Amino acid sequence: MNTIMTIFKKELTDTLRDRRTLIIMFIIPFALLPVMFTVMAKIGASQVKKAQDKELKVAYFANANESHLKTMLEEAEGIKLIFDADADSVEAHIRTNKLDAAIIFAPNFSEKFNALKPGKISVFYQSTNDANITWSRLKKVIDQFEKDLLEQRFISLNLNKNTAKVLRLEQTDVATAQEKYGKMIGGFLPYIFILFCFMGSMYPAIDLAAGEKERGTIETLLSSPANRFQIIVGKFLVVVISGCTSAIATILGMLVATKIGDIPEEITNVLGALLEPKSVILVLSLLIPLTVFLAGILLSISIFAKSFKEAQSLITPGNILVILPAAIGMVPGITLNYGTALIPVLNVSLATKEILAGTLQYDVLIVVYISQIVLALLSLWFCSKWFEREEIIFRE
Amino acid sequence: MIEINSLSKRYKLSKQQKRELGKESSITHIDAVKEISFTCKPGRVFTLLGPNGAGKTTTLRMIATMLKPTSGTIKVAGFDTVTDGEKVRRQLGFLTGGTGLYDRLTPHEMVKYHADLNDVDSTKFKANRDEIFARLGIEEYANRRIAKLSTGMKQKVSIARTIIHDPDVLVFDEPTAGLDVIASKGIIELIRTKRDEGKTIIFSTHIMSEVSLVSDDLAIIHQGELLYDGTYRNFESNMQEKSLADEFIRLVEGGRN
Repeated sequence: MNTIMTIFKKELTDTLRDRRTLIIMFIIPFALLPVMFTVMAKIGASQVKKAQDKELKVAYFANANESHLKTMLEEAEGIKLIFDADADSVEAHIRTNKLDAAIIFAPNFSEKFNALKPGKISVFYQSTNDANITWSRLKKVIDQFEKDLLEQRFISLNLNKNTAKVLRLEQTDVATAQEKYGKMIGGFLPYIFILFCFMGSMYPAIDLAAGEKERGTIETLLSSPANRFQIIVGKFLVVVISGCTSAIATILGMLVATKIGDIPEEITNVLGALLEPKSVILVLSLLIPLTVFLAGILLSISIFAKSFKEAQSLITPGNILVILPAAIGMVPGITLNYGTALIPVLNVSLATKEILAGTLQYDVLIVVYISQIVLALLSLWFCSKWFEREEIIFRE
Repeated sequence: MIEINSLSKRYKLSKQQKRELGKESSITHIDAVKEISFTCKPGRVFTLLGPNGAGKTTTLRMIATMLKPTSGTIKVAGFDTVTDGEKVRRQLGFLTGGTGLYDRLTPHEMVKYHADLNDVDSTKFKANRDEIFARLGIEEYANRRIAKLSTGMKQKVSIARTIIHDPDVLVFDEPTAGLDVIASKGIIELIRTKRDEGKTIIFSTHIMSEVSLVSDDLAIIHQGELLYDGTYRNFESNMQEKSLADEFIRLVEGGRN
């Protein structure tokens, strides 16, 4: 035990002094979420605000006696009506941004209206700009115009305007904000957690095995009284701690993200719910065995490699094996059940999603734990056996 | 004391090595060391001389328990390397020319790490460390990161690391490879000092000039087989060629024919 601690302490000191590892292990996972949420919120908000504040140039074509909409549009803020546009070229002008929209009354609009039929108004706009805000701003005015005309029609027919209303719709969405947004960002957060667990373990794993070969320190270590199992366990612990530190840094980053404002309240609430001690403990309890599993694989590859560079080039394509199941977990509709609970990485991704949404079923969670613990032990066992093979350590 | 008895090491060829030999080749393995026997005695320097690829490193790695013999036995200070690996390693100090250090540690931490691995208690560590650091002049940079040290300084730290636990048996695998004259001289001096302290020393090299500087006993190894095993003095007085290098070539080429 003493020997394992000696190796562990030395490897930890060595790892913590590596700036590259520190950045990948702690700084990036910690800073990513706050930065990402802030940037996304800022960009989103400023774009929407820009579109809402912008003065819309709207070409307006109506017949002499249809001035009600014109008055309404002129009274609406930020809309400039243009009356002398060429009706045939409005489409082209909208495309080239000379105009934002055009409203064209059909020549028979009044006739139709008077005949108690719907009158046609054509609205031209470009939805690719400004998230369709042009349309929604015009639609608001047009809807009011329609209401006014409807009222006018009911009065002329001596009817109560509520006669046309046959439904009174009352919508109640029973999904809580945590459920709604939990499923949404809950798909994305586990992906981030798993990715950082992997990245946080990767550099120490490469450095502590392949790096040891490259520096020529492996022979010295192997000729010391420490046996191979003690050496690998000491290294293993450091790799696992690095991976878990990344996961914790991500959670801390999330805590910071909830405090910096500018994030939609619903998301802040869900992040807040995740930060409840129970959720944090549950998520970490899933990430720790996952990190052990990943550490075993990463160290085994790293021991096999002759140099830092070879280890990197062997591990990089392996990324996909972690990223793919983690990404599949983001796909809506794929849920945690007794089958998916057995698939490594994917099970953690799905279980984390359920924890965030508050819909976790504990019987399935137990299957996830069992699967994870078995895999983690297998991975450690394989790694220690692998390290005992002289043809792997002294690979020519 | 190191006692080696009918030691052999056979490597299986990798797929790539087989491919390089061609399809017709039926060779499936390579004998890196073939049935060699010799004894290294305390207070004497045993030199293992051989060209590159002769089997020197394989032999020394088997002594240090890093590799397992295919057949034969090795006893270090009376312990068998296969059945009593840990006890063997407790007697050993191992230094190679390619030995690296941990760049992000300081010389002090590096040496302390090896002392801890060898269960050296803190009083003994302090005494050994102070004596070795003073003798090698490491004190002034003992707390600087190893990455910032010169090659010569690093070599001294490697030496300190090798002897911090005062091992009875020292294994040097081409320890001067890649070093300049001054650093090499430091190694030669270390070997002499340790011999005078009564330690068992095995030293492998392919550099002729070093052989005459330190050898008490000599073994010449070529293609995994011993061509000579005896005292250096005896070897020198029976030389048929004028120089050690020519005599070595004569033996090696004779062995090939």
